[in-house]
Amino acid sequence: MARSMLIISRQSPWAGPSAREALDIVLAGGAFELPLGLLFLDDGVLQLAPMQQAAAVQQKDLTANLQALPLFGIEALYAARRSLDERGLAEASLSLPVEVLGDDALSALINRYDHVITL
Amino acid sequence: MATLHLLSHSPFADSRLSSCLRLLSAGDGLLLSGDAVYALQRGTAQRQALELLPEGIVLFALDEDIVVRGLEDLPEHLHQVDYPAFVELCCRYARTNTWL
Amino acid sequence: MKFVIALYAPAHSPASRRALRFAEAVLAGGHEIVRLFLYQDGVHSASSNIVAAQDEFDVAGQWSQFVQTHSLDGVVCIAAGLRRGVLDEQEARRHGKPAANLAPGWELSGLGQLHEAAQQADRLVCFGGQ
Repeated sequence: MARSMLIISRQSPWAGPSAREALDIVLAGGAFELPLGLLFLDDGVLQLAPMQQAAAVQQKDLTANLQALPLFGIEALYAARRSLDERGLAEASLSLPVEVLGDDALSALINRYDHVITL
Repeated sequence: MATLHLLSHSPFADSRLSSCLRLLSAGDGLLLSGDAVYALQRGTAQRQALELLPEGIVLFALDEDIVVRGLEDLPEHLHQVDYPAFVELCCRYARTNTWL
Repeated sequence: MKFVIALYAPAHSPASRRALRFAEAVLAGGHEIVRLFLYQDGVHSASSNIVAAQDEFDVAGQWSQFVQTHSLDGVVCIAAGLRRGVLDEQEARRHGKPAANLAPGWELSGLGQLHEAAQQADRLVCFGGQ
């Protein structure tokens, strides 16, 4: 049975390449059809904010790539409720369909995976 | 099934420690290395938080990082580890989660 | 146990030295390192261009030696390497860049190698971050 991996993304899309490099790990695993989950935590939830325009800072559009995740068979997408609340993001306004989880559910989520990468 | 969380950044600079503390499950371990050992410093809110870790959560710190920073008066429940013990811990816990 | 060790920090970061010490302890403990994988700024830990000061510990040099001495599979993520200017001869030529700077023992490859190793390994341990 394949080992599962949870990727926890904690950076905003505008803080450097970390958000994209987290997504690249997910996409690479998706290509092998591995069991993966992606959790947006802390500033990572800012990747889900609506109406972002990457071109304004000459960057590639991360949102479009994130929205394509289900096409690559990656549907286990999560966001931390506390992180959304801290940053004034309403669940209804997010650019991606994610399961919003409280702290207890997040602890349980982590313990369901064989490997975890938090970046 | 438990997770060994690894922290190596200063707890005063960002939210890694506080986010990590909220996600700990019973049976998890927390290993401090690098500047994360400053969380053990007496008189800080971070030290306070570590004193109040729920029972069943084990606190570790890499010995070389304690020594190099001259930290004293450490929590009683702290286990200092060297690299061989660090490796053993990774085997003992089901997974590691480094807060990069 | 089988370990994959992933490093995300450059040679001058304490995390790089810490990862090296950990890797040494893994082998000394009788365990196996399936792969070392360098990602994000970790690719700089595989640079052959680092000149450590006389009185400083040469982490990059030590890593290169460690990988070679133990015949380990040391992989540097090619996408992260290109982005940060850590290239082998082939990539330098391919992209018309003036120099190759990948240290001996390391090879450039894709993120698939991280996943392949993670599938084989009992434990994935990561070091680094800013």
